[in-house]
Amino acid sequence: MAIAIMLITGIAGAGIYVMKLRADNATLKANQFKLETAITEQNKVLEQQKKDFTAILESNKKLNVLINTFKKDLQDLDKRFTKKDRDIGKLAIDRTGAIERIINKGGKNAARCIELASGAEHTEAELKATLKSEINPECPALANPNFVEYQ
Amino acid sequence: MNKILAIAIMILLTGCSIGGEKRIKIFSVEEPRQKLDYPMPTALQLEELKWIIITSKNAEEVFAKLEEAGIDPVLFGLTDKDYQVLARNFAQIRQKLQETNNLLEEYKKYYEPKEKE
Repeated sequence: MAIAIMLITGIAGAGIYVMKLRADNATLKANQFKLETAITEQNKVLEQQKKDFTAILESNKKLNVLINTFKKDLQDLDKRFTKKDRDIGKLAIDRTGAIERIINKGGKNAARCIELASGAEHTEAELKATLKSEINPECPALANPNFVEYQ
Repeated sequence: MNKILAIAIMILLTGCSIGGEKRIKIFSVEEPRQKLDYPMPTALQLEELKWIIITSKNAEEVFAKLEEAGIDPVLFGLTDKDYQVLARNFAQIRQKLQETNNLLEEYKKYYEPKEKE
Protein backbone atom coordinates (compact mmCIF):
# COMPACT_ATOMS: atom_id res chain seq x y z
CA MET A 1 0.00 0.00 0.00
CA ALA A 2 2.70 2.47 1.05
CA ILE A 3 4.71 1.55 -2.00
CA ALA A 4 1.71 2.25 -4.23
CA ILE A 5 1.21 5.69 -2.64
CA MET A 6 4.89 6.51 -3.03
CA LEU A 7 4.81 5.33 -6.63
CA ILE A 8 1.79 7.40 -7.54
CA THR A 9 3.11 10.48 -5.73
CA GLY A 10 6.46 10.00 -7.39
CA ILE A 11 4.92 9.76 -10.86
CA ALA A 12 2.73 12.80 -10.19
CA GLY A 13 5.70 14.77 -8.87
CA ALA A 14 7.77 13.82 -11.89
CA GLY A 15 4.91 14.89 -14.16
CA ILE A 16 4.63 18.24 -12.43
CA TYR A 17 8.38 18.72 -12.58
CA VAL A 18 8.47 17.96 -16.30
CA MET A 19 5.66 20.41 -16.88
CA LYS A 20 7.48 23.05 -14.88
CA LEU A 21 10.57 22.43 -16.94
CA ARG A 22 8.55 22.83 -20.13
CA ALA A 23 7.06 26.07 -18.88
CA ASP A 24 10.52 27.33 -17.90
CA ASN A 25 11.82 26.33 -21.29
CA ALA A 26 9.04 28.22 -23.03
CA THR A 27 9.70 31.30 -20.89
CA LEU A 28 13.42 31.13 -21.61
CA LYS A 29 12.75 30.78 -25.33
CA ALA A 30 10.45 33.78 -25.22
CA ASN A 31 13.05 35.75 -23.27
CA GLN A 32 15.74 34.78 -25.75
CA PHE A 33 13.54 35.92 -28.63
CA LYS A 34 12.82 39.21 -26.88
CA LEU A 35 16.50 39.81 -26.21
CA GLU A 36 17.42 39.07 -29.80
CA THR A 37 14.69 41.42 -31.02
CA ALA A 38 15.89 44.10 -28.60
CA ILE A 39 19.46 43.75 -29.86
CA THR A 40 18.30 44.05 -33.49
CA GLU A 41 16.25 47.10 -32.60
CA GLN A 42 19.13 48.65 -30.72
CA ASN A 43 21.40 48.06 -33.70
CA LYS A 44 18.85 49.71 -35.95
CA VAL A 45 18.64 52.70 -33.62
CA LEU A 46 22.43 52.98 -33.53
CA GLU A 47 22.62 52.81 -37.30
CA GLN A 48 19.93 55.48 -37.63
CA GLN A 49 21.79 57.66 -35.12
CA LYS A 50 24.96 57.28 -37.16
CA LYS A 51 23.09 58.31 -40.31
CA ASP A 52 21.56 61.27 -38.47
CA PHE A 53 24.94 62.47 -37.22
CA THR A 54 26.38 62.25 -40.73
CA ALA A 55 23.41 64.19 -42.10
CA ILE A 56 23.77 66.86 -39.40
CA LEU A 57 27.49 67.20 -40.08
CA GLU A 58 26.91 67.51 -43.82
CA SER A 59 24.19 70.06 -43.28
CA ASN A 60 26.39 72.13 -40.96
CA LYS A 61 29.20 71.99 -43.47
CA LYS A 62 26.89 73.18 -46.22
CA LEU A 63 25.64 76.09 -44.13
CA ASN A 64 29.16 77.09 -43.16
CA VAL A 65 30.18 77.14 -46.83
CA LEU A 66 27.12 79.27 -47.56
CA ILE A 67 27.91 81.76 -44.78
CA ASN A 68 31.50 82.05 -46.01
CA THR A 69 30.17 82.74 -49.50
CA PHE A 70 28.02 85.53 -48.04
CA LYS A 71 31.04 87.16 -46.44
CA LYS A 72 32.96 86.98 -49.70
CA ASP A 73 30.03 88.44 -51.68
CA LEU A 74 29.83 91.42 -49.32
CA GLN A 75 33.59 91.94 -49.50
CA ASP A 76 33.41 91.82 -53.30
CA LEU A 77 30.60 94.37 -53.26
CA ASP A 78 32.67 96.72 -51.08
CA LYS A 79 35.64 96.19 -53.38
CA ARG A 80 33.61 97.23 -56.39
CA PHE A 81 32.83 100.55 -54.73
CA THR A 82 36.25 101.26 -53.22
CA LYS A 83 38.77 99.38 -55.40
CA LYS A 84 41.95 101.45 -55.92
CA ASP A 85 40.53 104.41 -53.98
CA ARG A 86 37.60 104.47 -56.34
CA ASP A 87 35.03 107.17 -55.54
CA ILE A 88 31.75 106.29 -57.15
CA GLY A 89 30.43 109.81 -56.61
CA LYS A 90 33.28 111.45 -58.50
CA LEU A 91 33.09 108.84 -61.22
CA ALA A 92 29.37 109.54 -61.61
CA ILE A 93 30.07 113.24 -62.05
CA ASP A 94 32.77 112.61 -64.66
CA ARG A 95 31.12 109.76 -66.55
CA THR A 96 27.45 110.08 -65.72
CA GLY A 97 26.07 108.03 -68.62
CA ALA A 98 28.50 105.13 -68.18
CA ILE A 99 28.00 104.90 -64.41
CA GLU A 100 24.23 105.09 -64.86
CA ARG A 101 24.40 102.10 -67.20
CA ILE A 102 26.65 100.19 -64.79
CA ILE A 103 24.38 100.94 -61.84
CA ASN A 104 21.27 99.90 -63.73
CA LYS A 105 22.92 96.68 -64.81
CA GLY A 106 24.10 96.07 -61.24
CA GLY A 107 20.59 96.73 -59.93
CA LYS A 108 19.14 94.27 -62.42
CA ASN A 109 21.71 91.65 -61.41
CA ALA A 110 21.07 92.26 -57.72
CA ALA A 111 17.32 91.86 -58.28
CA ARG A 112 17.96 88.58 -60.07
CA CYS A 113 20.05 87.45 -57.08
CA ILE A 114 17.09 88.13 -54.79
CA GLU A 115 14.80 86.11 -57.07
CA LEU A 116 17.25 83.21 -57.03
CA ALA A 117 17.67 83.44 -53.26
CA SER A 118 13.91 83.18 -52.90
CA GLY A 119 13.98 79.90 -54.82
CA ALA A 120 13.63 80.89 -58.50
CA GLU A 121 14.85 78.37 -61.07
CA HIS A 122 18.13 79.08 -62.86
CA THR A 123 18.02 79.89 -66.54
CA GLU A 124 20.03 77.85 -69.04
CA ALA A 125 22.41 80.77 -69.54
CA GLU A 126 23.02 81.07 -65.80
CA LEU A 127 23.77 77.39 -65.50
CA LYS A 128 26.05 77.34 -68.52
CA ALA A 129 28.01 80.45 -67.53
CA THR A 130 31.65 79.60 -66.92
CA LEU A 131 33.36 82.81 -68.04
CA LYS A 132 33.67 85.97 -65.98
CA SER A 133 31.93 87.92 -68.74
CA GLU A 134 28.90 85.61 -68.55
CA ILE A 135 28.29 85.54 -64.82
CA ASN A 136 26.19 87.61 -62.46
CA PRO A 137 28.92 89.40 -60.50
CA GLU A 138 26.55 90.32 -57.68
CA CYS A 139 26.20 86.71 -56.52
CA PRO A 140 28.21 84.31 -58.72
CA ALA A 141 28.07 81.43 -56.23
CA LEU A 142 24.30 81.57 -56.21
CA ALA A 143 23.58 82.52 -59.80
CA ASN A 144 26.27 80.58 -61.65
CA PRO A 145 26.97 77.27 -59.92
CA ASN A 146 29.29 76.10 -62.71
CA PHE A 147 31.53 79.15 -62.59
CA VAL A 148 34.88 78.51 -60.95
CA GLU A 149 36.71 81.65 -60.03
CA TYR A 150 40.32 81.79 -61.13
CA GLN A 151 42.51 82.32 -58.04
CA MET B 1 -7.27 3.42 -1.68
CA ASN B 2 -10.05 5.44 -3.25
CA LYS B 3 -8.79 8.59 -1.58
CA ILE B 4 -5.33 8.03 -2.97
CA LEU B 5 -6.77 7.42 -6.40
CA ALA B 6 -8.83 10.58 -6.18
CA ILE B 7 -5.80 12.63 -5.12
CA ALA B 8 -3.72 11.13 -7.93
CA ILE B 9 -6.43 11.94 -10.50
CA MET B 10 -6.72 15.50 -9.14
CA ILE B 11 -3.00 16.00 -9.44
CA LEU B 12 -2.97 14.61 -12.97
CA LEU B 13 -5.86 16.81 -14.06
CA THR B 14 -4.55 20.02 -12.53
CA GLY B 15 -0.93 19.32 -13.40
CA CYS B 16 -1.25 20.83 -16.88
CA SER B 17 -2.52 24.08 -15.51
CA ILE B 18 0.38 24.63 -13.13
CA GLY B 19 2.40 27.54 -14.46
CA GLY B 20 0.41 27.43 -17.67
CA GLU B 21 -1.48 30.68 -17.43
CA LYS B 22 -1.33 32.62 -20.64
CA ARG B 23 0.39 35.95 -20.46
CA ILE B 24 -1.17 39.06 -21.86
CA LYS B 25 0.92 40.50 -24.66
CA ILE B 26 0.81 44.23 -25.20
CA PHE B 27 1.98 45.49 -28.56
CA SER B 28 3.00 49.09 -28.91
CA VAL B 29 3.17 50.25 -32.51
CA GLU B 30 4.79 53.61 -33.00
CA GLU B 31 2.68 55.74 -35.27
CA PRO B 32 4.92 58.31 -36.99
CA ARG B 33 3.81 61.92 -36.90
CA GLN B 34 2.16 63.13 -40.06
CA LYS B 35 4.42 65.08 -42.37
CA LEU B 36 3.76 68.79 -42.56
CA ASP B 37 4.89 68.75 -46.18
CA TYR B 38 4.48 72.43 -46.97
CA PRO B 39 5.55 73.37 -50.47
CA MET B 40 8.57 75.64 -50.66
CA PRO B 41 7.67 79.35 -50.82
CA THR B 42 6.99 80.74 -54.26
CA ALA B 43 9.99 82.47 -55.80
CA LEU B 44 9.93 86.24 -56.08
CA GLN B 45 9.54 87.98 -59.41
CA LEU B 46 10.83 91.48 -59.03
CA GLU B 47 9.95 94.40 -61.24
CA GLU B 48 12.69 96.25 -62.99
CA LEU B 49 13.50 99.77 -61.93
CA LYS B 50 15.66 102.42 -63.48
CA TRP B 51 18.29 104.42 -61.70
CA ILE B 52 18.90 107.96 -62.87
CA ILE B 53 22.11 109.71 -61.92
CA ILE B 54 21.63 113.39 -61.45
CA THR B 55 24.52 115.81 -61.02
CA SER B 56 24.66 119.60 -60.90
CA LYS B 57 25.66 119.50 -64.57
CA ASN B 58 22.88 117.31 -65.98
CA ALA B 59 20.04 118.22 -63.61
CA GLU B 60 18.18 120.48 -66.03
CA GLU B 61 18.55 117.98 -68.87
CA VAL B 62 17.28 115.13 -66.71
CA PHE B 63 14.20 117.03 -65.55
CA ALA B 64 13.49 118.20 -69.10
CA LYS B 65 13.64 114.58 -70.30
CA LEU B 66 11.28 113.49 -67.56
CA GLU B 67 8.78 116.17 -68.52
CA GLU B 68 9.08 115.20 -72.18
CA ALA B 69 8.29 111.61 -71.27
CA GLY B 70 5.26 112.73 -69.28
CA ILE B 71 6.81 111.74 -65.97
CA ASP B 72 6.49 114.02 -62.95
CA PRO B 73 9.74 116.00 -62.76
CA VAL B 74 10.62 114.79 -59.33
CA LEU B 75 13.34 112.38 -58.18
CA PHE B 76 13.91 110.63 -54.88
CA GLY B 77 17.60 110.98 -54.27
CA LEU B 78 20.44 109.24 -52.55
CA THR B 79 24.02 110.38 -52.12
CA ASP B 80 26.76 108.13 -53.48
CA LYS B 81 27.51 106.93 -49.93
CA ASP B 82 23.87 106.13 -49.25
CA TYR B 83 23.65 104.29 -52.56
CA GLN B 84 26.48 102.05 -51.33
CA VAL B 85 24.64 101.52 -48.05
CA LEU B 86 21.49 100.60 -49.96
CA ALA B 87 23.43 98.12 -52.11
CA ARG B 88 24.91 96.53 -48.99
CA ASN B 89 21.54 96.39 -47.27
CA PHE B 90 19.95 94.67 -50.24
CA ALA B 91 22.85 92.21 -50.40
CA GLN B 92 22.27 91.39 -46.73
CA ILE B 93 18.52 90.96 -47.23
CA ARG B 94 19.22 88.63 -50.15
CA GLN B 95 21.68 86.64 -48.07
CA LYS B 96 19.23 86.31 -45.20
CA LEU B 97 16.58 85.14 -47.66
CA GLN B 98 18.96 82.58 -49.10
CA GLU B 99 20.02 81.41 -45.65
CA THR B 100 16.42 81.03 -44.47
CA ASN B 101 15.41 79.15 -47.61
CA ASN B 102 18.43 76.92 -47.24
CA LEU B 103 17.62 76.19 -43.61
CA LEU B 104 14.06 75.33 -44.57
CA GLU B 105 15.31 72.94 -47.24
CA GLU B 106 17.71 71.29 -44.80
CA TYR B 107 14.98 70.88 -42.19
CA LYS B 108 12.69 69.36 -44.79
CA LYS B 109 15.41 67.00 -45.95
CA TYR B 110 16.18 65.96 -42.38
CA TYR B 111 12.73 65.63 -40.89
CA GLU B 112 10.70 64.81 -43.99
CA PRO B 113 12.98 62.72 -46.18
CA LYS B 114 11.58 61.37 -49.40
CA GLU B 115 10.92 57.62 -49.47
CA LYS B 116 14.04 56.93 -51.56
CA GLU B 117 16.39 58.60 -49.04
